[in-house]
Amino acid sequence: MKTVKELLEQNASVDAFRILEHRIRSYELFFVHQSLETVRATDTADIEATVYVDHDGFRGDSAFAAPESLSEEELNEKISLAVRRARLVCNKPYTLTRGESAPCVYLDTNLNEEAPETLARRIADACFAADTEEGGSINALEIFLDREETRVVNSLGVDRSQVKYRVMIEAIPTFTRGGESVELYEDLRFSEFDPERVTGMIREKMREVRDRFSAQKPQTPLQTNVILRAKEISSLMEEFSNELNYASVYAHSNLHALGDDLQENAAGDCDKITLTAKGTLPQSVFSKAFDEDGTSLADTCLIRDGKVENYYGANRFGQYLEIPVPSGNLPCLRLEPGTLSEDLLEQTPHLECVSLSGLQVDLYNDYIGGEIRLGYYFDGKTKTPVTGITMSGKLSEVLRGLRLSERTGTYNAYEGAEKLLLRDMQIL
Amino acid sequence: MPFSAFLDARRQDCRDLAAALQPQFSYVTVLGCDVRARAYRADRNGSMAREGRGERGFVLKLSNGKSFYEYSLDDITGDKTALAGKILKALQTDPDLYRREISVKLPSDEPLKQDFVRETDFADYDDQALLGVCSDLSAELVGKDPHVLNAFAVLQPFTVSKLFVSANRELSQHYGWANGVLLVVYRDEKMVQARVGADGDHLKELIPALRGKTDAVLDLARNLTRATPIEPGVYDVITDSSITGLIAHEAFGHGVEMDQFVKDRALAKNCVGQYVASPIANMRDGAAATHSVASYFFDDDGVLAHDTQIIKDGVLVAGLSDLASALQLDTAPTGNGRRDSYKRKAYSRMTNTFFEKGSDKLSDMIASVKHGYMLFETNNGMEDPKNWQIQCTAEYGIEIVDGKLTDHYVAPVVMSGYVPDLLKSISMISDGFEVIGAGFCGKGYKEWVRVSDGGPNLKVKVKLG
Repeated sequence: MKTVKELLEQNASVDAFRILEHRIRSYELFFVHQSLETVRATDTADIEATVYVDHDGFRGDSAFAAPESLSEEELNEKISLAVRRARLVCNKPYTLTRGESAPCVYLDTNLNEEAPETLARRIADACFAADTEEGGSINALEIFLDREETRVVNSLGVDRSQVKYRVMIEAIPTFTRGGESVELYEDLRFSEFDPERVTGMIREKMREVRDRFSAQKPQTPLQTNVILRAKEISSLMEEFSNELNYASVYAHSNLHALGDDLQENAAGDCDKITLTAKGTLPQSVFSKAFDEDGTSLADTCLIRDGKVENYYGANRFGQYLEIPVPSGNLPCLRLEPGTLSEDLLEQTPHLECVSLSGLQVDLYNDYIGGEIRLGYYFDGKTKTPVTGITMSGKLSEVLRGLRLSERTGTYNAYEGAEKLLLRDMQIL
Repeated sequence: MPFSAFLDARRQDCRDLAAALQPQFSYVTVLGCDVRARAYRADRNGSMAREGRGERGFVLKLSNGKSFYEYSLDDITGDKTALAGKILKALQTDPDLYRREISVKLPSDEPLKQDFVRETDFADYDDQALLGVCSDLSAELVGKDPHVLNAFAVLQPFTVSKLFVSANRELSQHYGWANGVLLVVYRDEKMVQARVGADGDHLKELIPALRGKTDAVLDLARNLTRATPIEPGVYDVITDSSITGLIAHEAFGHGVEMDQFVKDRALAKNCVGQYVASPIANMRDGAAATHSVASYFFDDDGVLAHDTQIIKDGVLVAGLSDLASALQLDTAPTGNGRRDSYKRKAYSRMTNTFFEKGSDKLSDMIASVKHGYMLFETNNGMEDPKNWQIQCTAEYGIEIVDGKLTDHYVAPVVMSGYVPDLLKSISMISDGFEVIGAGFCGKGYKEWVRVSDGGPNLKVKVKLG
């Protein structure tokens, strides 16, 4: 049977095409408490083809799924339908990424050194090794071990592939005493398995969930400095980077433009944001060698010293914005550290957020806030665990007084300042 | 559009593969999925017509009364003995884990053969017609107001075909749903986005409904440019149907997903038979409870759709279960076993979740508020079933002063607090009712399924920030 690539090449109505494949083999374990509830394995492929048809001064495109279970006749029907659809689509012309064929990229990993069932069991052991706290338990644990192969082929010679291994762990640390019980949520993602690191991270969460058990709602309303950790800093930085994507700019949905100062009239001791979009980060499972167009990724500084310096994004929208060499769709972010030392932090009253329902950021309405499930309130002398409170503030105001830690940390697709201080947030 | 020809052609393959695995497993099921979606979009810069997010493949579920085993694959043709061998090899477990396996009863496999179909009119609308609707709507919005920076019009119809085969059961279902969205990027005093939607399984009704909302989305955009942050505090609040649904879903629905009971992750497990809400509150969930996006005929475990009363007169009476959690809890499954796709595990999931309507008039409810807000349109929410904390974000609110809606808009509005406090504060329930079938729901931060939620207007007291 002819492949979708061969059929696309033979179809005279197709002016250009792109094929994107994701093949995933996974091995998954699901525990209820420490009992094994479900074992799963998958062997699947997502193949998406996009046809491009030039007509009436426009470039139309249309994408379709091309699973290997389709017959040649079915594939040809899908191609014909996609051509008809592409003729209805009227977009400004652009060219696809040009022929960058390269050997398959294998991202660094140690996850391919043993059988998946053995590795998955060792990961489970590393998690349960942290379950030693009296009153503590891991009430649920899910382990996903994936081998993902990505390949991009297009009609202008691109043929690039990448293989990555990744682990995702979802654990629910719980603390119970006298019939009362609380929990926290922990998700870990890594491409290098270090059992001691995994145990250490889960153990830290076990300590935190014990603190949640004893946490009290502080006297409110309260106005204080709030410390965000890497997970929430990542979420905040994504808000900025998303709107600086070429596609957002082209769609006129970006609030900030080149040269805009996000921290205009900043306080004297404010740390200015320098944010870079990157293709890879060490040990991040989000790292990529190329994007979905097959474009090589070029790290790009988006915000320097608080001012928007560059946009970033995919080839098509980069061309629309007349960017000479589009950066590619960069998956990771790095935020430069600042001047906030641990010593200074220990002298400054603050509320450090350990677990939030989710950081709520609304750039349009100039809002930042969220429900705090566990925080540590430091009044300048003592630190106490707190819960049941909500923080809120005006984003533009807190950016003007923002402080970034000297120390750096990582979370998923983020590396950079480990802590971020927001001044004078309202706590209710 | 008829049931999937792809799945129809694989019926015998499903039976043969199940038979090939039965020497090793007492309970073997095969679920075949063929979900086809189309997506159309137009804005002032361009357009899109393509396939949307669909799926096509199979997942097997195996049990011997101990741990469950599942295997996902794209196709099941060919030598079934070889395929069964490949599946068993892939599912090998490290011997150290044998001692950790659960023990449960074997699932029931009551004989049933049935084909379920609910018709749509999607085949009556070709690509040109649907993209034309989007283009017209986008152009209309851009042309109506010079402050419109961009206007997106989106239509997304999809059809679901599923085939479930076990030793004694063979079920098929075919149905569809469609969503339409208008989104305006607007700049006047400040830049905002305003969004309205419509959904249903007949485009002949959905498209006019969407066309009828162009003035509404522009009015909303204009009002949002004047919106101010809310002064944090505890207020009397009237919810629209969307926010009522958000409360039903986030505040309580996740907490009665019974796989959380098995994991001791839900406070609700210990509250069955107790008052958890105001005595005037009644809440339901089920694929058969109403007609919306999650109204399937059988779930991804092959259990027929249910209509489950969760809260009756303020008392928690039942939860929602998939097959695995029901077996572990020794209860009957409620038809809530759902997968993100054939590639993912089945969990206990909500379907169509809503509060039942009451007898109050919305005008009387607003009139009863001295100072508070009416909240509109779900933005997002996050559950915490163990500790019953919630965070739900509304797109906007309108201030109520002395029993009257003002023209003071606030945005965004984050509701938070302790679930029983919120539910017990329900003091009035309107006689209106709407379920919105435009939602996606995750379990934690993954496993996305389509859901609806809604109900009447509620009067509650809640913390806003």
